[in-house]
Amino acid sequence: MPAYNEAQVICSVVKKMAAVMDTSKHYTYEIVIINDGSRDATAQEASKTSATVINHILNSGAGGATLTGLSYARQNNFDIAITMDADGQHAPEDVLEGIKQLSKLNADLLIGSRLINNKGMSKTKVIGNTGLSVVTKLLFGVYVTDSQSGLRAYSRRAIDELDWKSTGYEFCSEMIWRAEQSDLSIAEYPIQAIYTDYSRSKGQNNWNGINIVKRLLKQRLVELFE
Amino acid sequence: MRYLILVLCNLPIILLALVNIITQYKLKKVSITRFQHQIIIWTVVLIVLLGSFPLYNILNGRSAFDSNELSLFDIVQTTVIVFLFYAFNNLRQQLDQNERRLRDLHQELSIKLSGK
Repeated sequence: MPAYNEAQVICSVVKKMAAVMDTSKHYTYEIVIINDGSRDATAQEASKTSATVINHILNSGAGGATLTGLSYARQNNFDIAITMDADGQHAPEDVLEGIKQLSKLNADLLIGSRLINNKGMSKTKVIGNTGLSVVTKLLFGVYVTDSQSGLRAYSRRAIDELDWKSTGYEFCSEMIWRAEQSDLSIAEYPIQAIYTDYSRSKGQNNWNGINIVKRLLKQRLVELFE
Repeated sequence: MRYLILVLCNLPIILLALVNIITQYKLKKVSITRFQHQIIIWTVVLIVLLGSFPLYNILNGRSAFDSNELSLFDIVQTTVIVFLFYAFNNLRQQLDQNERRLRDLHQELSIKLSGK
C-alpha cells in the first residue's frame, strides 16, 4: 500500500483491511505500507497498526513506492501481492476478491476495474480514465478498461518479472505494457470505487491526466532508442 | 576526395557505436530490444552518411562521387553531429543505468532500515 501524506485515514484503512482478511482462513497475509517520504504523521500513524511500515528516505512517487512493495514481496517469497490505494478508495472486500479471482482466472496481473461497473463515479472521472485507457492502447497496444486503477493483484511470476521506469502515476499504464512485454497474462475484475470527500481531495483530476499522457508519450519515444 | 574525408571521419564513430552495442549484447549487458533498436539506428545513420551525397549528385546529373560542392564546413558539421549523437546516446544509457542503481539502492535501504 503506497502512502503519501495519508495520516488522516491510514489507521482506519489498515484496520478495515485486516478485519476483512481475518475473516478468510485460507490465507496468511501481511499488510505492508510504503510510506513514500510523507511530510505528515503517516509513518507514526501507520506504526500504530499491525502493518509492516517501510519508510522511503526520499519521495519516489507512486510508481517507485509500488516497486518497493513488490521488491519486499519478492524478498519475502510472497505467492501473491496486492497493491491498493491508501486513501480508502478501495473496498477491502474487493482486495479479498482479487486474491480469489487471480487464481480462478489464472492471471499474472489482475486489475480491479472501476469502469466495468462505474456506478458512483463522476462523468468527468469516467471520461478521464477511459481516455487514459485509450491512450494506453494507442501507445502500448494493450487495452484494459481501467488502466489507472491502483487495486492490482500480482502472481508470483509477476512479482518476479515486473519492472518499470516511471515513478509517477503513469506507472499504471507502463506496468501494463511491461506485463505484455514479459508475456504475463492480464485480466480484469469489477470493483467498486468509494469516493469520500477525503479521497476526492487526494485523487487525480483530468489535468493530471494530461500530464500522465505527456509522460507516457515521452516514455514511448525514449523506448525507441532503448 | 572530400567525400572520402567525410566518410573516413565518420565511419570510425559509427563502427565504434556498432561494436559497442554488439559487445554489450554479447556480454548480456543490454536487452535484445535495445540491441535491435541501436543496430537499426546506426545502420540508418551509416546508410544516410554513405548514400545521401552520391544520391544528391546523381539526382543533379553529376558523377556520384564528385565532391566539389562539399565544403570543409559540411564535413566538420556532419562529423560533429554524428559524434554528438554517439556521445548523447552513450550518456543517456549511463544515466539510465545510474538512475536504476540509485532506485534499487533506495529501495534496498528503505526495506533494510524498516528492520524487517
